[in-house]
Amino acid sequence: MHINTICRYTALEAIRTRVPATALLTLAVLLGASLFIRELAVTETSRFQIGFYAAAARLCAVFMASLYVLASISREFNDKGLDTLLALDVPRSHYICGKLAGFMLTALIIAIVLSLPLWVLAPASAVWMWTASLAIELALIIALSLFCIITFNQLLPAAGFVAAFYLLARSLTAMRLMSAAPVAGQDTLSHQVTHGLVEGLSYLMPALDRWTDTAWLVNAAPEPTALLAIVMQGLIYITLLAVAALFDFHRRSL
Amino acid sequence: MPKLAGFTDERTLHAVPPAIGVLLAIALALPSPTARAEALPPAPDAAVLRAASLGEPIAAAQMLVLYLQSFDNQPGISIPFRDLDYSRVAAWLDTALRLDPRSGYPLMMASQLYGQVSDPDKQRAMCEFVHAQFSAAPNDRWRWLAHCAIMAKHRLKDQALALRYATAIARDAGQASGWARQMRIFILEDMGETASAKVLLGGLLATGEITDSSELRFLTERLQTLGIAEKTAEPPKSRH
Repeated sequence: MHINTICRYTALEAIRTRVPATALLTLAVLLGASLFIRELAVTETSRFQIGFYAAAARLCAVFMASLYVLASISREFNDKGLDTLLALDVPRSHYICGKLAGFMLTALIIAIVLSLPLWVLAPASAVWMWTASLAIELALIIALSLFCIITFNQLLPAAGFVAAFYLLARSLTAMRLMSAAPVAGQDTLSHQVTHGLVEGLSYLMPALDRWTDTAWLVNAAPEPTALLAIVMQGLIYITLLAVAALFDFHRRSL
Repeated sequence: MPKLAGFTDERTLHAVPPAIGVLLAIALALPSPTARAEALPPAPDAAVLRAASLGEPIAAAQMLVLYLQSFDNQPGISIPFRDLDYSRVAAWLDTALRLDPRSGYPLMMASQLYGQVSDPDKQRAMCEFVHAQFSAAPNDRWRWLAHCAIMAKHRLKDQALALRYATAIARDAGQASGWARQMRIFILEDMGETASAKVLLGGLLATGEITDSSELRFLTERLQTLGIAEKTAEPPKSRH
Protein backbone atom coordinates (compact mmCIF):
# COMPACT_ATOMS: atom_id res chain seq x y z
CA MET A 1 0.00 0.00 0.00
CA HIS A 2 2.72 2.45 1.05
CA ILE A 3 4.91 1.33 -1.85
CA ASN A 4 2.12 1.98 -4.38
CA THR A 5 1.42 5.44 -2.98
CA ILE A 6 5.10 6.48 -2.92
CA CYS A 7 5.55 5.06 -6.43
CA ARG A 8 2.53 7.00 -7.72
CA TYR A 9 3.68 10.28 -6.18
CA THR A 10 7.24 9.79 -7.42
CA ALA A 11 5.92 9.32 -10.96
CA LEU A 12 3.62 12.33 -10.50
CA GLU A 13 6.57 14.41 -9.34
CA ALA A 14 8.43 13.42 -12.52
CA ILE A 15 5.52 14.57 -14.66
CA ARG A 16 5.18 17.86 -12.76
CA THR A 17 8.90 18.57 -12.99
CA ARG A 18 8.53 18.13 -16.75
CA VAL A 19 10.64 14.97 -17.22
CA PRO A 20 8.46 13.68 -20.12
CA ALA A 21 8.54 17.15 -21.71
CA THR A 22 12.36 17.19 -21.39
CA ALA A 23 12.48 13.76 -23.04
CA LEU A 24 10.33 15.07 -25.90
CA LEU A 25 12.54 18.13 -26.29
CA THR A 26 15.63 15.87 -26.33
CA LEU A 27 13.95 13.74 -29.00
CA ALA A 28 13.31 16.84 -31.15
CA VAL A 29 16.88 18.15 -30.79
CA LEU A 30 18.49 14.75 -31.48
CA LEU A 31 16.18 14.07 -34.42
CA GLY A 32 17.15 17.44 -35.93
CA ALA A 33 20.85 16.71 -35.39
CA SER A 34 20.48 13.21 -36.87
CA LEU A 35 18.79 14.67 -39.98
CA PHE A 36 21.79 16.98 -40.35
CA ILE A 37 24.14 13.97 -40.13
CA ARG A 38 21.98 12.18 -42.70
CA GLU A 39 22.37 15.10 -45.11
CA LEU A 40 26.16 15.07 -44.71
CA ALA A 41 26.43 11.40 -45.69
CA VAL A 42 26.79 10.54 -49.38
CA THR A 43 25.56 6.98 -48.97
CA GLU A 44 24.26 4.76 -46.14
CA THR A 45 22.23 7.79 -45.07
CA SER A 46 19.78 5.82 -42.89
CA ARG A 47 22.65 3.97 -41.23
CA PHE A 48 24.28 7.30 -40.34
CA GLN A 49 21.04 8.78 -39.02
CA ILE A 50 20.18 5.73 -36.90
CA GLY A 51 23.77 5.35 -35.69
CA PHE A 52 23.97 8.92 -34.45
CA TYR A 53 20.44 9.09 -33.03
CA ALA A 54 20.64 5.78 -31.13
CA ALA A 55 24.06 6.51 -29.60
CA ALA A 56 23.12 10.05 -28.57
CA ALA A 57 19.63 9.13 -27.32
CA ARG A 58 21.06 6.39 -25.12
CA LEU A 59 23.57 8.75 -23.52
CA CYS A 60 20.95 11.49 -23.01
CA ALA A 61 18.48 9.02 -21.48
CA VAL A 62 21.06 7.82 -18.96
CA PHE A 63 22.05 11.41 -18.12
CA MET A 64 18.42 12.45 -17.63
CA ALA A 65 17.39 9.44 -15.53
CA SER A 66 20.44 9.54 -13.29
CA LEU A 67 20.40 13.28 -12.70
CA TYR A 68 16.68 13.22 -12.01
CA VAL A 69 17.05 10.57 -9.26
CA LEU A 70 20.03 12.34 -7.67
CA ALA A 71 18.32 15.75 -7.69
CA SER A 72 14.97 14.42 -6.48
CA ILE A 73 16.35 12.52 -3.46
CA SER A 74 18.79 15.32 -2.71
CA ARG A 75 15.87 17.76 -2.59
CA GLU A 76 13.98 15.46 -0.22
CA PHE A 77 16.99 15.41 2.10
CA ASN A 78 17.42 19.18 2.00
CA ASP A 79 13.70 20.08 2.33
CA LYS A 80 13.31 17.65 5.26
CA GLY A 81 10.44 16.00 3.35
CA LEU A 82 11.98 12.64 4.09
CA ASP A 83 12.06 13.35 7.84
CA THR A 84 8.36 14.20 7.77
CA LEU A 85 7.54 11.07 5.80
CA LEU A 86 9.48 8.80 8.13
CA ALA A 87 7.78 10.37 11.15
CA LEU A 88 4.60 8.73 9.82
CA ASP A 89 3.96 5.00 9.93
CA VAL A 90 6.07 4.26 6.82
CA PRO A 91 8.74 1.55 6.99
CA ARG A 92 12.05 2.61 5.48
CA SER A 93 12.02 -0.35 3.09
CA HIS A 94 8.65 0.79 1.70
CA TYR A 95 10.09 4.23 1.04
CA ILE A 96 13.06 2.84 -0.94
CA CYS A 97 10.96 0.31 -2.85
CA GLY A 98 8.28 2.90 -3.67
CA LYS A 99 10.85 5.43 -4.83
CA LEU A 100 12.65 2.82 -6.92
CA ALA A 101 9.40 1.71 -8.57
CA GLY A 102 8.38 5.33 -9.32
CA PHE A 103 11.77 6.15 -10.81
CA MET A 104 11.71 2.99 -12.91
CA LEU A 105 8.31 3.95 -14.28
CA THR A 106 9.79 7.32 -15.23
CA ALA A 107 12.74 5.55 -16.88
CA LEU A 108 10.36 3.39 -18.89
CA ILE A 109 8.61 6.53 -20.16
CA ILE A 110 11.97 8.10 -21.11
CA ALA A 111 13.02 4.91 -22.97
CA ILE A 112 9.72 4.70 -24.86
CA VAL A 113 9.69 8.40 -25.80
CA LEU A 114 13.29 8.41 -27.05
CA SER A 115 12.79 5.24 -29.10
CA LEU A 116 9.83 6.68 -31.04
CA PRO A 117 11.77 7.88 -34.16
CA LEU A 118 13.53 4.52 -34.43
CA TRP A 119 10.24 2.71 -35.12
CA VAL A 120 10.15 4.60 -38.44
CA LEU A 121 13.85 4.27 -39.26
CA ALA A 122 14.79 0.70 -38.26
CA PRO A 123 13.22 -2.80 -38.29
CA ALA A 124 10.57 -3.20 -35.56
CA SER A 125 12.11 -6.40 -34.12
CA ALA A 126 15.43 -4.60 -33.54
CA VAL A 127 13.79 -1.44 -32.14
CA TRP A 128 11.74 -3.50 -29.70
CA MET A 129 14.85 -5.16 -28.31
CA TRP A 130 16.80 -1.89 -28.25
CA THR A 131 14.01 -0.15 -26.30
CA ALA A 132 13.69 -3.02 -23.82
CA SER A 133 17.44 -3.05 -23.30
CA LEU A 134 17.50 0.74 -22.81
CA ALA A 135 14.73 0.49 -20.21
CA ILE A 136 16.71 -2.16 -18.28
CA GLU A 137 19.89 -0.07 -18.56
CA LEU A 138 18.04 2.97 -17.18
CA ALA A 139 16.58 0.86 -14.36
CA LEU A 140 20.10 -0.23 -13.40
CA ILE A 141 21.40 3.35 -13.50
CA ILE A 142 18.45 4.49 -11.39
CA ALA A 143 19.15 1.82 -8.77
CA LEU A 144 22.81 2.84 -8.78
CA SER A 145 21.95 6.56 -8.47
CA LEU A 146 19.56 5.85 -5.59
CA PHE A 147 22.21 3.81 -3.80
CA CYS A 148 24.86 6.51 -4.34
CA ILE A 149 22.78 9.46 -3.16
CA ILE A 150 21.68 7.56 -0.04
CA THR A 151 25.22 6.44 0.72
CA PHE A 152 27.13 9.65 -0.08
CA ASN A 153 24.30 12.04 0.85
CA GLN A 154 25.87 14.73 -1.38
CA LEU A 155 25.18 15.42 -5.04
CA LEU A 156 28.77 15.78 -6.28
CA PRO A 157 30.30 12.51 -4.96
CA ALA A 158 27.14 10.60 -5.87
CA ALA A 159 27.07 11.97 -9.45
CA GLY A 160 30.82 11.38 -9.75
CA PHE A 161 30.50 7.74 -8.69
CA VAL A 162 27.57 7.08 -11.05
CA ALA A 163 29.45 8.67 -13.98
CA ALA A 164 32.64 6.73 -13.22
CA PHE A 165 30.77 3.43 -12.89
CA TYR A 166 28.83 3.99 -16.12
CA LEU A 167 31.85 5.07 -18.19
CA LEU A 168 33.90 2.15 -16.89
CA ALA A 169 31.11 -0.36 -17.55
CA ARG A 170 30.79 0.86 -21.13
CA SER A 171 34.48 0.85 -21.95
CA LEU A 172 35.58 -2.23 -20.03
CA THR A 173 35.49 -4.61 -23.01
CA ALA A 174 37.74 -2.28 -25.04
CA MET A 175 40.06 -1.97 -22.03
CA ARG A 176 40.21 -5.76 -21.75
CA LEU A 177 41.14 -6.05 -25.44
CA MET A 178 43.89 -3.43 -25.06
CA SER A 179 45.15 -5.01 -21.87
CA ALA A 180 45.21 -8.52 -23.38
CA ALA A 181 47.35 -7.49 -26.35
CA PRO A 182 49.80 -4.74 -25.38
CA VAL A 183 52.36 -3.57 -27.95
CA ALA A 184 55.27 -4.08 -25.51
CA GLY A 185 56.02 -5.04 -21.92
CA GLN A 186 53.66 -8.01 -21.76
CA ASP A 187 55.74 -9.77 -19.11
CA THR A 188 56.31 -6.84 -16.77
CA LEU A 189 54.83 -6.90 -13.29
CA SER A 190 52.91 -3.65 -13.85
CA HIS A 191 51.18 -5.13 -16.89
CA GLN A 192 50.32 -8.35 -15.07
CA VAL A 193 48.79 -6.34 -12.21
CA THR A 194 46.85 -4.05 -14.57
CA HIS A 195 45.63 -7.00 -16.62
CA GLY A 196 44.51 -8.83 -13.47
CA LEU A 197 42.71 -5.70 -12.25
CA VAL A 198 40.86 -5.19 -15.55
CA GLU A 199 39.90 -8.88 -15.70
CA GLY A 200 38.70 -8.75 -12.09
CA LEU A 201 36.60 -5.66 -12.79
CA SER A 202 35.02 -7.35 -15.79
CA TYR A 203 33.67 -10.10 -13.50
CA LEU A 204 32.17 -7.53 -11.15
CA MET A 205 30.68 -4.99 -13.54
CA PRO A 206 27.91 -5.32 -16.10
CA ALA A 207 29.17 -5.26 -19.71
CA LEU A 208 27.06 -2.24 -20.66
CA ASP A 209 28.79 -1.90 -24.03
CA ARG A 210 26.91 -5.03 -25.11
CA TRP A 211 23.55 -3.63 -23.97
CA THR A 212 21.34 -1.34 -26.11
CA ASP A 213 23.68 -1.97 -29.03
CA THR A 214 23.39 0.34 -32.05
CA ALA A 215 24.53 -2.56 -34.26
CA TRP A 216 21.17 -4.25 -33.58
CA LEU A 217 19.45 -1.38 -35.38
CA VAL A 218 21.82 -0.95 -38.34
CA ASN A 219 23.07 -4.51 -38.93
CA ALA A 220 20.71 -7.18 -37.65
CA ALA A 221 18.50 -7.75 -34.62
CA PRO A 222 20.10 -10.12 -32.12
CA GLU A 223 18.71 -13.44 -31.01
CA PRO A 224 16.11 -13.09 -28.20
CA THR A 225 18.56 -14.92 -25.92
CA ALA A 226 20.75 -11.78 -25.98
CA LEU A 227 17.91 -9.82 -24.38
CA LEU A 228 17.30 -12.63 -21.92
CA ALA A 229 20.94 -12.39 -20.80
CA ILE A 230 20.54 -8.62 -20.35
CA VAL A 231 17.34 -9.12 -18.33
CA MET A 232 19.09 -11.62 -16.08
CA GLN A 233 22.17 -9.40 -15.61
CA GLY A 234 19.92 -6.40 -14.99
CA LEU A 235 17.86 -8.23 -12.38
CA ILE A 236 20.97 -9.32 -10.50
CA TYR A 237 22.53 -5.84 -10.43
CA ILE A 238 19.29 -3.99 -9.67
CA THR A 239 18.52 -6.37 -6.77
CA LEU A 240 22.06 -6.02 -5.44
CA LEU A 241 21.98 -2.22 -5.62
CA ALA A 242 18.47 -1.97 -4.14
CA VAL A 243 19.46 -4.19 -1.19
CA ALA A 244 22.66 -2.15 -0.71
CA ALA A 245 20.58 1.07 -0.73
CA LEU A 246 18.15 -0.46 1.82
CA PHE A 247 21.07 -1.51 4.00
CA ASP A 248 22.60 1.96 4.00
CA PHE A 249 19.24 3.68 4.46
CA HIS A 250 18.43 1.57 7.52
CA ARG A 251 21.78 2.51 9.04
CA ARG A 252 21.19 6.24 8.57
CA SER A 253 20.23 8.27 11.61
CA LEU A 254 17.21 10.37 10.66
CA MET B 1 13.07 51.48 -16.14
CA PRO B 2 12.53 48.97 -19.01
CA LYS B 3 12.70 45.31 -18.15
CA LEU B 4 13.39 42.35 -20.42
CA ALA B 5 10.05 41.02 -21.64
CA GLY B 6 9.03 37.69 -20.18
CA PHE B 7 11.52 37.76 -17.30
CA THR B 8 9.63 39.63 -14.58
CA ASP B 9 12.01 38.49 -11.85
CA GLU B 10 15.03 40.03 -13.59
CA ARG B 11 16.58 43.34 -12.70
CA THR B 12 16.98 46.14 -15.24
CA LEU B 13 19.96 46.33 -17.59
CA HIS B 14 21.23 49.30 -15.56
CA ALA B 15 21.90 46.92 -12.68
CA VAL B 16 24.85 45.46 -14.63
CA PRO B 17 28.11 47.26 -13.68
CA PRO B 18 29.47 49.31 -16.67
CA ALA B 19 32.87 47.55 -16.43
CA ILE B 20 31.20 44.21 -17.25
CA GLY B 21 29.52 45.80 -20.28
CA VAL B 22 32.91 47.17 -21.47
CA LEU B 23 34.58 43.76 -21.01
CA LEU B 24 31.76 42.07 -22.95
CA ALA B 25 32.15 44.59 -25.81
CA ILE B 26 35.95 43.99 -25.91
CA ALA B 27 35.42 40.21 -25.95
CA LEU B 28 33.00 40.53 -28.87
CA ALA B 29 35.37 42.86 -30.76
CA LEU B 30 38.35 40.47 -30.58
CA PRO B 31 39.58 39.47 -34.07
CA SER B 32 38.31 36.14 -35.35
CA PRO B 33 40.90 33.41 -36.06
CA THR B 34 42.52 33.52 -39.51
CA ALA B 35 41.75 30.64 -41.86
CA ARG B 36 44.77 28.37 -42.35
CA ALA B 37 45.03 25.01 -44.06
CA GLU B 38 46.04 22.33 -41.58
CA ALA B 39 47.63 19.04 -42.52
CA LEU B 40 45.61 15.89 -41.92
CA PRO B 41 46.77 14.54 -38.54
CA PRO B 42 47.75 10.86 -38.13
CA ALA B 43 44.78 8.50 -37.83
CA PRO B 44 43.67 7.72 -34.28
CA ASP B 45 44.17 4.19 -33.01
CA ALA B 46 41.10 2.00 -33.48
CA ALA B 47 41.42 0.36 -30.03
CA VAL B 48 41.68 3.72 -28.28
CA LEU B 49 38.71 5.08 -30.25
CA ARG B 50 36.69 1.98 -29.36
CA ALA B 51 37.31 2.64 -25.66
CA ALA B 52 36.72 6.38 -25.99
CA SER B 53 33.44 5.82 -27.85
CA LEU B 54 32.01 4.01 -24.80
CA GLY B 55 31.12 0.90 -26.76
CA GLU B 56 29.63 2.81 -29.71
CA PRO B 57 32.14 1.93 -32.46
CA ILE B 58 29.58 2.46 -35.24
CA ALA B 59 28.89 6.05 -34.21
CA ALA B 60 32.64 6.63 -33.73
CA ALA B 61 33.37 5.31 -37.23
CA GLN B 62 30.67 7.54 -38.69
CA MET B 63 32.01 10.65 -36.98
CA LEU B 64 35.49 9.69 -38.15
CA VAL B 65 34.55 9.45 -41.83
CA LEU B 66 32.42 12.61 -41.70
CA TYR B 67 35.38 14.48 -40.18
CA LEU B 68 37.65 13.14 -42.92
CA GLN B 69 35.08 13.93 -45.60
CA SER B 70 34.81 17.52 -44.45
CA PHE B 71 38.54 17.93 -43.80
CA ASP B 72 39.16 19.35 -47.27
CA ASN B 73 36.69 22.12 -46.41
CA GLN B 74 38.26 23.75 -43.39
CA PRO B 75 36.75 27.08 -42.28
CA GLY B 76 37.41 29.62 -45.00
CA ILE B 77 39.67 27.32 -47.03
CA SER B 78 39.17 24.52 -49.53
CA ILE B 79 42.05 22.05 -49.79
CA PRO B 80 42.28 19.99 -53.01
CA PHE B 81 42.21 16.24 -52.36
CA ARG B 82 45.54 15.87 -54.17
CA ASP B 83 47.25 17.97 -51.47
CA LEU B 84 46.28 15.49 -48.76
CA ASP B 85 48.74 12.90 -47.48
CA TYR B 86 47.19 9.75 -48.94
CA SER B 87 49.00 7.35 -46.61
CA ARG B 88 47.23 9.16 -43.76
CA VAL B 89 43.93 9.16 -45.64
CA ALA B 90 44.23 5.37 -46.07
CA ALA B 91 45.03 5.01 -42.35
CA TRP B 92 41.91 7.02 -41.40
CA LEU B 93 39.74 4.92 -43.72
CA ASP B 94 41.28 1.74 -42.31
CA THR B 95 40.52 2.84 -38.73
CA ALA B 96 36.90 3.56 -39.70
CA LEU B 97 36.59 0.09 -41.24
CA ARG B 98 38.06 -1.55 -38.15
CA LEU B 99 35.44 0.18 -36.01
CA ASP B 100 32.53 -0.62 -38.33
CA PRO B 101 33.45 -3.47 -40.70
CA ARG B 102 29.88 -3.75 -42.05
CA SER B 103 29.94 -0.21 -43.47
CA GLY B 104 30.95 0.42 -47.08
CA TYR B 105 31.35 4.15 -46.56
CA PRO B 106 35.18 4.21 -46.22
CA LEU B 107 35.47 2.13 -49.42
CA MET B 108 33.08 4.48 -51.21
CA MET B 109 35.26 7.40 -50.13
CA ALA B 110 38.39 5.64 -51.35
CA SER B 111 37.00 4.69 -54.76
CA GLN B 112 34.63 7.58 -55.47
CA LEU B 113 36.13 10.60 -53.70
CA TYR B 114 39.84 10.23 -53.05
CA GLY B 115 40.35 7.96 -56.07
CA GLN B 116 39.14 10.69 -58.45
CA VAL B 117 42.22 12.93 -58.23
CA SER B 118 44.38 13.42 -61.33
CA ASP B 119 47.48 11.95 -59.63
CA PRO B 120 47.95 8.32 -60.85
CA ASP B 121 49.99 7.35 -57.79
CA LYS B 122 47.21 8.47 -55.48
CA GLN B 123 44.57 6.76 -57.62
CA ARG B 124 46.60 3.57 -57.49
CA ALA B 125 47.05 3.91 -53.71
CA MET B 126 43.28 4.16 -53.21
CA CYS B 127 42.65 1.20 -55.53
CA GLU B 128 45.18 -0.88 -53.61
CA PHE B 129 43.51 0.12 -50.35
CA VAL B 130 40.13 -1.05 -51.68
CA HIS B 131 41.70 -4.29 -52.98
CA ALA B 132 43.35 -4.99 -49.61
CA GLN B 133 40.07 -4.40 -47.76
CA PHE B 134 38.14 -6.46 -50.32
CA SER B 135 40.16 -9.53 -49.34
CA ALA B 136 38.84 -9.27 -45.77
CA ALA B 137 35.16 -9.51 -46.81
CA PRO B 138 34.84 -10.14 -50.56
CA ASN B 139 31.08 -10.76 -50.59
CA ASP B 140 30.32 -7.44 -48.91
CA ARG B 141 32.94 -5.27 -50.62
CA TRP B 142 33.12 -6.41 -54.25
CA ARG B 143 31.19 -3.43 -55.67
CA TRP B 144 33.88 -0.97 -54.60
CA LEU B 145 36.55 -3.10 -56.24
CA ALA B 146 34.40 -3.14 -59.39
CA HIS B 147 34.58 0.68 -59.44
CA CYS B 148 38.36 0.42 -59.05
CA ALA B 149 38.59 -2.07 -61.94
CA ILE B 150 36.96 0.50 -64.25
CA MET B 151 39.19 3.23 -62.84
CA ALA B 152 42.30 1.10 -63.40
CA LYS B 153 41.39 0.52 -67.02
CA HIS B 154 40.32 4.03 -68.00
CA ARG B 155 42.19 6.39 -65.70
CA LEU B 156 45.37 4.47 -64.98
CA LYS B 157 45.32 2.80 -68.43
CA ASP B 158 46.46 -0.36 -66.67
CA GLN B 159 44.51 -3.22 -68.20
CA ALA B 160 46.46 -5.83 -66.23
CA LEU B 161 45.51 -4.20 -62.93
CA ALA B 162 41.86 -3.94 -64.02
CA LEU B 163 41.85 -7.62 -64.94
CA ARG B 164 43.47 -8.50 -61.60
CA TYR B 165 40.62 -6.77 -59.77
CA ALA B 166 37.96 -8.34 -62.02
CA THR B 167 39.52 -11.77 -61.49
CA ALA B 168 39.58 -11.24 -57.73
CA ILE B 169 35.83 -10.52 -57.79
CA ALA B 170 35.14 -13.62 -59.92
CA ARG B 171 37.34 -15.81 -57.72
CA ASP B 172 36.61 -14.60 -54.19
CA ALA B 173 33.18 -12.94 -54.18
CA GLY B 174 31.00 -16.02 -54.60
CA GLN B 175 27.86 -14.11 -53.60
CA ALA B 176 28.44 -11.22 -56.04
CA SER B 177 25.96 -10.75 -58.88
CA GLY B 178 26.57 -12.79 -62.04
CA TRP B 179 27.36 -9.74 -64.16
CA ALA B 180 29.98 -8.59 -61.62
CA ARG B 181 31.67 -11.98 -61.66
CA GLN B 182 31.91 -11.66 -65.44
CA MET B 183 33.45 -8.19 -65.35
CA ARG B 184 36.49 -9.48 -67.20
CA ILE B 185 34.39 -9.46 -70.38
CA PHE B 186 33.71 -5.76 -70.43
CA ILE B 187 37.19 -4.98 -69.14
CA LEU B 188 38.56 -6.78 -72.21
CA GLU B 189 36.02 -5.17 -74.56
CA ASP B 190 36.88 -1.84 -76.19
CA MET B 191 34.32 0.06 -74.15
CA GLY B 192 34.57 3.73 -73.09
CA GLU B 193 34.69 4.77 -69.43
CA THR B 194 31.15 6.19 -69.46
CA ALA B 195 29.78 3.03 -71.05
CA SER B 196 31.62 0.85 -68.51
CA ALA B 197 30.39 2.98 -65.63
CA LYS B 198 26.84 2.78 -67.03
CA VAL B 199 27.06 -1.01 -67.14
CA LEU B 200 28.28 -1.02 -63.54
CA LEU B 201 25.60 1.39 -62.28
CA GLY B 202 22.88 -0.42 -64.27
CA GLY B 203 24.01 -3.74 -62.84
CA LEU B 204 24.07 -2.40 -59.29
CA LEU B 205 20.58 -0.96 -59.70
CA ALA B 206 19.14 -4.07 -61.37
CA THR B 207 20.37 -6.35 -58.59
CA GLY B 208 19.21 -4.01 -55.82
CA GLU B 209 22.73 -3.31 -54.56
CA ILE B 210 21.98 0.42 -54.47
CA THR B 211 18.91 1.37 -52.46
CA ASP B 212 20.07 4.65 -50.98
CA SER B 213 18.67 7.61 -52.94
CA SER B 214 21.61 9.87 -52.00
CA GLU B 215 24.10 7.35 -53.33
CA LEU B 216 22.11 6.91 -56.53
CA ARG B 217 22.05 10.70 -57.03
CA PHE B 218 25.78 10.91 -56.32
CA LEU B 219 26.70 8.14 -58.78
CA THR B 220 24.34 9.48 -61.46
CA GLU B 221 25.91 12.93 -61.17
CA ARG B 222 29.37 11.37 -61.54
CA LEU B 223 28.16 9.51 -64.62
CA GLN B 224 26.82 12.73 -66.16
CA THR B 225 30.13 14.49 -65.44
CA LEU B 226 31.98 11.64 -67.13
CA GLY B 227 29.65 11.83 -70.15
CA ILE B 228 30.17 15.57 -70.56
CA ALA B 229 33.93 15.18 -70.17
CA GLU B 230 34.01 12.45 -72.85
CA LYS B 231 31.94 14.55 -75.27
CA THR B 232 34.19 17.57 -74.91
CA ALA B 233 37.26 15.27 -74.96
CA GLU B 234 38.60 16.94 -71.87
CA PRO B 235 39.63 15.36 -68.57
CA PRO B 236 36.63 14.78 -66.29
CA LYS B 237 35.81 17.61 -63.94
CA SER B 238 36.67 16.54 -60.45
CA ARG B 239 38.13 18.19 -57.37
CA HIS B 240 41.83 18.15 -58.13
